[in-house]
Amino acid sequence: MDPYDTPESTPRHGASSRLKGYFIGATPLRKRLESVRKQASFVPTPPRRKIPQCSQLQEDNDPQKFAFLLHKQWTLYSLTPLYKFSYTNLKEYSRLLSAFIAAEKQKGLAVEVGEDFNIKVTFSTLLGMKGTQRDPEAFLVQILSKSQLPSENRGQKVLWTGWFCCVFGDSLLETVPEDFTCVPLFLANGAETNTAIVGTWFQETFDCHFSSLAINAFNLSWMAAMWTACKMDQYMATTEFLWSVPCSPQSLDISYAIHPEDAKALWDSVHKTPGEVTQEEVDLFMDCLYSHFHRHFKIHLSATRLVRVSTSVASAHTDGKIKILCHKYLIGILAYLTELAIFQID
Amino acid sequence: MDETVAEFIKRTILKIPMTEMMTILKAWDFLPENQLQTVNFRQRKESLVQDLVLLCESKRASLRDAALLDIICEDVDLFDMERFKSSFEKILRRALKNVTVSFRDAEENAVWIRIAWGTQYRKPNQYKPVYVVYYSQTPYAFTSFCHLKSNTPLLSQALTVASNHHKIVKMDLRSRYLDSLKAIVFKQYNQKFETHNSTMPLQETLELDMHMDSRIIHENKIEKERVQRVTQETFGDYPQPRLEFAQYKLETKFRSDFHGGILAERKEPLRCLIKFSSPHLLEALKSLAPAGIADAPLSPLLTCIPNKGMNYFKIRDK
Repeated sequence: MDPYDTPESTPRHGASSRLKGYFIGATPLRKRLESVRKQASFVPTPPRRKIPQCSQLQEDNDPQKFAFLLHKQWTLYSLTPLYKFSYTNLKEYSRLLSAFIAAEKQKGLAVEVGEDFNIKVTFSTLLGMKGTQRDPEAFLVQILSKSQLPSENRGQKVLWTGWFCCVFGDSLLETVPEDFTCVPLFLANGAETNTAIVGTWFQETFDCHFSSLAINAFNLSWMAAMWTACKMDQYMATTEFLWSVPCSPQSLDISYAIHPEDAKALWDSVHKTPGEVTQEEVDLFMDCLYSHFHRHFKIHLSATRLVRVSTSVASAHTDGKIKILCHKYLIGILAYLTELAIFQID
Repeated sequence: MDETVAEFIKRTILKIPMTEMMTILKAWDFLPENQLQTVNFRQRKESLVQDLVLLCESKRASLRDAALLDIICEDVDLFDMERFKSSFEKILRRALKNVTVSFRDAEENAVWIRIAWGTQYRKPNQYKPVYVVYYSQTPYAFTSFCHLKSNTPLLSQALTVASNHHKIVKMDLRSRYLDSLKAIVFKQYNQKFETHNSTMPLQETLELDMHMDSRIIHENKIEKERVQRVTQETFGDYPQPRLEFAQYKLETKFRSDFHGGILAERKEPLRCLIKFSSPHLLEALKSLAPAGIADAPLSPLLTCIPNKGMNYFKIRDK
């Protein structure tokens, strides 16, 4: 696996090895491309990463604080830096966004039957959700509905949640001027219409831009390896991979679930460098899984498309959806996603 | 009555199972109803048979009557649809007061049964019925998914007893298409006729392409032909029965020629669960080798599905 391949040029695991063969015949061209890429300011995906550990910052915090973020499916977006965003104006932003949403809904642009228009928007900071002190504070936006019925208690139901964060975002922070706040990773849970409305308000207010953050097979493999490498006291879920096979006329999905202890045993057998995960180890880990499968079924999984990986730590889908299952490695997971988001912005 | 006739009648009646005794005697219609009522059917079989033979003697049964009894015994061995239905319903009702059972006769000696389950206190839920299709001339029945798993043993028992079998076994074969399941278990999918010319049409097609533009060469032509041939041999020319998934529970050790050393000391197998899903699984599998995604021949674990009539497997190291 060539570490300088950009994710966009390797949508399929198998395709990249074919591309590689093609370039071997065009060595001078390739050398020129490489030097151009090195001069550009983007960060190529590194050949090694640290295994997520409990970060110092997070250990000080009550695990319950972020419990509401676990076990939910989040849709991922990358976000360009916000212009003139201020953490002291959060109350003001709540008010403005609230009014904006009410106006949009009355316009009839996003009417959900039966929904009462009595909604409230809250902005709050999520302290401790960062990698280094340099990272800006993460913050949370929620749309709540106030119950109209007197019979229900005056409790508020959360309709939509979105949070913005930056975990180990140094590479972006270094390049950005003062008036900008960098929170490149945005995660949303709730109705798409609400995500669109909130997104529009942010774009108009802070001159920023949201893009869907897809996760390609290459990064899914990395996530699977890294999350398998995490030390777990207890395994809550089986380790599972989902491949989509590009055959016609019928589609075929292959789900490969492996007992988490066996996945860990395989990883431990592959893993050589303490504290780190290398490209070779990720490739070998996946290769072993492919080889075990091929031995039984004579099918080359490497020629198909990896679409989803799921472990006791977290699960991720190629469409840019993630579910975090373990608070212990929250920061590590966010660090990887921040890296992907920053890569997409550049 | 002749000694031999008496002996013949005695042996014939002895062969009749107690559950069918009354039915057969009534069908025979030799001993009148009022006489049958004087007989104690609860006594031991040998004693009952003796009483019945005595009655036959008193009515002077002939060899012809005895032969008729024999035919009726054979006939009842053949399936009696009405008896099956009443027996099936009776067994369910005896166990569960609140149950709705309906029947519809279908083609080919098949009966469709609809069962709506209730509980002791609740009326049957008509929106979640279970359907059973029983082919009386075969030892197969097909059931739809049952939400209340607790009723499955009762359903199995009713089917077994009413159809006069002594055991029911659940097959590891599931699909949304009843016709496909039928095709597989009744082995109706294989319409292939052996011909020596089966490879000829394929070669002709390739030949034609070459004539269209001689600058185009099919790379790997020999290998591609081999793959096509092997695929055709494995799957046949006919449309595949339609299944949606196959599931494999694997408990096998990791072994690889290229990854020597990995998990070498580990004695335990890798516990894996592999599931293939597709709108038309067998057609999808058939297309894998020609597409270069799989080797040809494909693994027997996959190709055996229609033959074995299974799509749930447990595989262990031997």
